[in-house]
Amino acid sequence: MNNAFINTYTGEWLKKRRSFSSWLVIIGGFFIPLVNLLIFIFYPNQLISMHKSGEFWNQVSDASWKSMAFMLLPMGIVLAVSLITQLEYKNNTWKQLHAAPVSFANIYFSKLLVIITMLAQLFVLFNVGIYISAVIPSFFNSQIPFPNYAMDAGFLLMENAKYFLLCLPIVAIQYMISLQFKNFLIPIGAGLALAVGGLMAFSWEYAYTIPYTYTGLHYLQEKSKIVPAQNILVWSAAYFALFSLFGFWLYIRKKEKG
Amino acid sequence: MYCVETHQLNYSFRSGDLVLNNINLQVPKGSIYGFLGPNGAGKTTTLRLLLGLLKNQQGDIRIFDKQLQKNRIAVLRNIGSLIESPSLYGHLTAIENLRLLQKIYQCPVKRINEVLQIVGLSATGIKKASSFSLGMKQRLSIAIALLHEPDLLILDEPTNGLDPNGIIEIRDLLKKLNTQQGISIIISSHLLSEVEKLVTHVGIISKGSMVFQGTLKNLKDKQKQTSGLILETNNIERTVRVLRSMKLDGSIDAGRIMLPIPSKETIAGINSRLVHEGIDVYEMSVVKKDLETIFMELINQ
Repeated sequence: MNNAFINTYTGEWLKKRRSFSSWLVIIGGFFIPLVNLLIFIFYPNQLISMHKSGEFWNQVSDASWKSMAFMLLPMGIVLAVSLITQLEYKNNTWKQLHAAPVSFANIYFSKLLVIITMLAQLFVLFNVGIYISAVIPSFFNSQIPFPNYAMDAGFLLMENAKYFLLCLPIVAIQYMISLQFKNFLIPIGAGLALAVGGLMAFSWEYAYTIPYTYTGLHYLQEKSKIVPAQNILVWSAAYFALFSLFGFWLYIRKKEKG
Repeated sequence: MYCVETHQLNYSFRSGDLVLNNINLQVPKGSIYGFLGPNGAGKTTTLRLLLGLLKNQQGDIRIFDKQLQKNRIAVLRNIGSLIESPSLYGHLTAIENLRLLQKIYQCPVKRINEVLQIVGLSATGIKKASSFSLGMKQRLSIAIALLHEPDLLILDEPTNGLDPNGIIEIRDLLKKLNTQQGISIIISSHLLSEVEKLVTHVGIISKGSMVFQGTLKNLKDKQKQTSGLILETNNIERTVRVLRSMKLDGSIDAGRIMLPIPSKETIAGINSRLVHEGIDVYEMSVVKKDLETIFMELINQ
């Protein structure tokens, strides 16, 4: 990574400070764990049964991932990516950025890397949220023990890494669309339509061809322990590479750059 | 030597309408070049082409003797710009706006305070750029343009929307940058009066074509050429003979004679000779066109 890229990345990182997209990462990371926390507090039996299951952390994690994988992750990514690129359109700053002595590749990929870093941030916050949602109820209810069980950190980390990889094609597609349109409603509308389309396509035999189904498909595969015919992790990596490069090609071909 | 030189620059939008037609811009190094023309004449399109914001369709752009298309990054390293409205991140403070660009431009951190001082925005603190007045936004945009110590500033209507005080402040600042730091400046405007006191060179564009390019003195000479003394008498032919005997030559138009403006003494001499020759003088008046009129005539021709 050259110095110019690191500097461009740092500059891009500073831009999202106090922006709605950075708040969205925090809200998105804690939203489902917070809902689960309230459920565990008001309906403690659910958490108590998890304590008795012998695989507490996996079950607590599963409770949060269920909602995250199907709905929040694809839709949150659509919204956050569109908001990040919208920063330039909204502030009329594309011309400033494109008149700076930086290569178009540095601009495109540093912005993409900022989005990917924010996704990693979301995952960290989500896992912190899961931990907090499991621990806090024990302070409110004496029937709920403190969860001082050993965590299968390797498994949880691997699961996070898989979900992370499965999100990347959605990031690349949404980034590609968002860079093309000044009107915020177009990338949001297209992204939400694709996300809803993905939800509807879960039962389709070729669902593995639709990146928006991947996080949900992975959840179902893990739950049912079925070895899928197609490795969606490979599909995901390929889609990410394909759409990132195609998006870059579209971006540098734009006749008007601000 | 020219810091900006374009050769046969043409540009048309998707509709096929020609926006620029053979623009040959020549901006001397160290000059303040006023790029003038009415709204829609092609000023912003030309400046956007100079910054690589529009894909060049036809023609050649050389900046500091380097071809823009082949040396985009090296060329942009020497240019600071403000195109149309300010480009600022509204949710960030002035310092934060500058800091992120300082990272991108890879210039020293101390430049942030320096440029804030130059434009008089050192005390904005935690105020977000979105709550700045238009004048403050313009000044911050100029600070951004100056951040990496460029040799050339390209400013597209930087005084747009500013009050008279703001206009004077920006004008003084640009003069100072030009004289003290030797920065060449291209400043576009649709008003000659706005840049007349600032520029050393003028380029006038109308309907996508250059209709004048030269020094401000050249434009003022043109003003002199189109101004004159009008003479109306009861005998045009005899009047012409009298003028010729005084080695003055004029043109006859609609029963009146028009001569280049002579000295006050000569005007008095003409009058006394004509009276002495028994010619009745009906009118003797000096017609002076101001620069604005010349400008209007150029853009409307």
